[in-house]
Amino acid sequence: MDAKTIVRPDPDVVARVVARICGDYGERAVTTRAVREHHSHGEGLADAALPDVVVFPRSNEEVAALVRLCHLSRVPVIAFGVGTSLEGHVAALYGGVCIDLSQMNRVLEINAEDLDCRVQAGVTREQLNAELKGTGLFFPIDPGANATIGGMASTRASGTNAVRYGTMRENVMGLTVVTADGRVVTTGGRARKSSAGYDLTRLFVGAEGTLGVITEIQLRLYGVPEAIASAVCQYPDLAGAVNTVIAAMQTGIPVARIELLDDVQMDACIRYSKLEGYRALPTLFFEFHGTEAGVREQSATMRAISDEFGGSEFQWATLAEDRTRLWKARHAAYYATLALKPGTTALATDACVPISRLADCILETKADIEKSGLTVTIVGHVGDGNFHLVVLYEPGDAGQRERADALARAVSMRAIAMGGTCTGEHGIGWHKLDLLAQEHGEAVDLMRSIKRALDPHGIMNPGKTVPS
Amino acid sequence: MLDPALLSALADLLPPSAIIATAEGTRPYECDGLPLFREQPLAVLLPEDEAQVVGILRLCHAARLPVVARGAGTGLSGGATPYRKGIVLSLAKFKRILSIDPLSCTAVVQPGVRNLAISEAAAVHRLYYAPDPSSQIACTIGGNVAENSGGVHCLKYGLTVHNVRRVRAVLIDGDVVEFGGEGLDAAGYDLLALINGSEGLLAVITEVTVKLTPNPQQATCVLASFSDAEKAGDAVAAIIGAGIIPAGLEMMDQLTIAAVEPFVHAGYPLDAAAILLCESDGTPDEVTDEVALMRSLLETSGATTIQVSQSEVQRLKFWSGRKAAFPAAGRISPDYYCIDGTIPRRSLAPVLKRIEALSREFGLRCMNVFHAGDGNLHPLILFDANVPDEIARTEAFGARILELCIEVGGTITGEHGVGLEKIDQMCTQFAAAELERFHAIKRAFDAEGLLNPGKAVPLLHRCAEMGRMHVHGGELPYPDLPRF
Repeated sequence: MDAKTIVRPDPDVVARVVARICGDYGERAVTTRAVREHHSHGEGLADAALPDVVVFPRSNEEVAALVRLCHLSRVPVIAFGVGTSLEGHVAALYGGVCIDLSQMNRVLEINAEDLDCRVQAGVTREQLNAELKGTGLFFPIDPGANATIGGMASTRASGTNAVRYGTMRENVMGLTVVTADGRVVTTGGRARKSSAGYDLTRLFVGAEGTLGVITEIQLRLYGVPEAIASAVCQYPDLAGAVNTVIAAMQTGIPVARIELLDDVQMDACIRYSKLEGYRALPTLFFEFHGTEAGVREQSATMRAISDEFGGSEFQWATLAEDRTRLWKARHAAYYATLALKPGTTALATDACVPISRLADCILETKADIEKSGLTVTIVGHVGDGNFHLVVLYEPGDAGQRERADALARAVSMRAIAMGGTCTGEHGIGWHKLDLLAQEHGEAVDLMRSIKRALDPHGIMNPGKTVPS
Repeated sequence: MLDPALLSALADLLPPSAIIATAEGTRPYECDGLPLFREQPLAVLLPEDEAQVVGILRLCHAARLPVVARGAGTGLSGGATPYRKGIVLSLAKFKRILSIDPLSCTAVVQPGVRNLAISEAAAVHRLYYAPDPSSQIACTIGGNVAENSGGVHCLKYGLTVHNVRRVRAVLIDGDVVEFGGEGLDAAGYDLLALINGSEGLLAVITEVTVKLTPNPQQATCVLASFSDAEKAGDAVAAIIGAGIIPAGLEMMDQLTIAAVEPFVHAGYPLDAAAILLCESDGTPDEVTDEVALMRSLLETSGATTIQVSQSEVQRLKFWSGRKAAFPAAGRISPDYYCIDGTIPRRSLAPVLKRIEALSREFGLRCMNVFHAGDGNLHPLILFDANVPDEIARTEAFGARILELCIEVGGTITGEHGVGLEKIDQMCTQFAAAELERFHAIKRAFDAEGLLNPGKAVPLLHRCAEMGRMHVHGGELPYPDLPRF
């Protein structure tokens, strides 16, 4: 796991492992460049680091056998969902075997009366919700992308409604994990609580595949609310929008989603998603879940708060298709930003601060953006203090790239200085390795010790999550 | 006796009043809330700041002297039972609430602050700390983190691990580390979750940032009685199955009702076989809707009477009986032993029947009071330690209840931790591969095993000697059990 001591394994050893896997898995083991290329990056910056082979196992036992083989040969193992991660999590920095879990895509059980379910790692979030149709239940976590549940657990994903339902940390009840030596262990389970033993479930959640490969996940489910209403409110300035959020969180309104789009982001979304009747102003998207009366009550309280900060009339979307259009526009924010300047590349930040520092953090960052001369949008799940910048730069322009990197670093450092984090939901991968030490200091040594304890040969997704 | 050189080094570090090394002096620390286990430590140390904790741990590390951290000593599994050849490190003097941030809804507190004191201090901001173990007037937040404590409100608001943002702690070698952060999420491995429930085996906690929850605008409690416990169990399933997560969902059986009602006059019907307390909180209209729905579900499940609290005074009255269950047990029996196990909710009714049968078999009364919404049982076995063999029968009865929990797919502890009490049952619940992972983590924090030795995670040879790790044909015992 130490980047200085880890080198690409001996090519002969790798060749033997690849040959063995190709022999065992036939068409389910692929070595073509196109497929390896596809598995070398997520949605963030493309870093050319190709695995030597991509293999598609179908059971826990197959995953365990693959990891055991890699363990014996000391060849890296990289787990892969659908490749929607943003921080270079799946780049095969030292080559090795990419385990693509997309064929492990069965929902294993749905326990409606206990509000839980068990799925294989390759099930996507949209697939799960489609299979839950008719049960009156849903799985709320929504990072935007149609990620796999395994990937979401590994990166401790959250999303637009974490403010009400929590992140993967709160919603994973248990796991089946293939450990670094190729053993299958089960953590947590269906009991609502247990205080026996260390909390390995949460240790594997967010470990980004560096401690083991998650193959099954036990998840909490929620009753589909009786009533759902979405509203849009626009503000004369960014401070008004952010302060509305802060006041709302303090009041304890159980708002299901609360999303901030700054003026530039709103402009981009209006153009890209053809939203009508809105202006390019700082904007909040709200969603309320509850009984009919509860939703009415929540939104009335929210309006009263919003009025104090100069918010416009609420524009309601109560019909399902209107809501869908609104949230689609929100989820397309990244692409809308890219469309502002065709031909540019984007880099995304992921700061998260305590709510009391949110206004300072966003307003200071907005001032930095204006000084940078770059085109940058702000969008975020501000209810939990998390916001993103999407920073555009010309790929060929080294000066722009440098300014983009400096801006991204500044917002991360600002968040850390304010007691927050450089990553609210995207994870560390390898792009943010240096920031982890900034954020955690001494605790990084412990993380290293844990990595060594559970993966002594450093074969699990080497070069990620914990700096050497 | 403490080594004289060590004692003098400690005397350089701490005032004389902070070092208790006499047998009379250490006696009050010989046990925690599980008095079945007692042990005299070599010394009890009472540091008052983090630098002293660092100094103590450095000395103990160098001397290879075991350290047992202690909060209020209200734990129920022997987590703070002293180690005979070690010291007790009491955090009792860490009693300050350092800051409350009403905007972020957080408070920074020292580990010796009592659970309830946090809510009392936050009340001016209309905030409170949600996890509420029954011992909340006495237990400390440091102990809550160490045990990942629960409580009545945990069904809706989560356990300690869900309500703690940041923990500052000292490792055995004296290094100070911070886990988590002030924001909602932190980068890297979730060490904060590892510390929660680690029972003092990984680090000594010196500061905690807790999440505070806004007071609900409205809270209403529904008290439903049933002519048999099975129907009450069905009602629990019906409420959860309808997608309702009540703020509290508690069940008490007839013996418990009979014990608490004369004591606190909560208004419980004495003729009921079981009662349920279901709480709804939120905005007024939401609560009205939810209470109406719970009412109809309770009626359909066969509730004989239903009372809805009409005022805050009445609501607190309803809860007073539940919170007083333990002291009430003390009133009707010289001794009692509280069991903590979790079962899938659907097994509530059959498990209650089996416990009733066991109660007859062992000739000991058993009060059943528990967090029904979580399936977390707390049978209280009533006994008299002065009657020959009653302690032995009580322990055997308790062990049978825990085995029953495992048999129906549950776990051996819901919220009280493993400590000394359940170390042997850990061998039943976990297989070698899983215990090995626990030991690997322990080694990463405390290679010499000096922090709280002999607790929480059994050594593999202990399990082997007990013959509990019988693996047949490569199959785990109870393969569908939650393991971690």
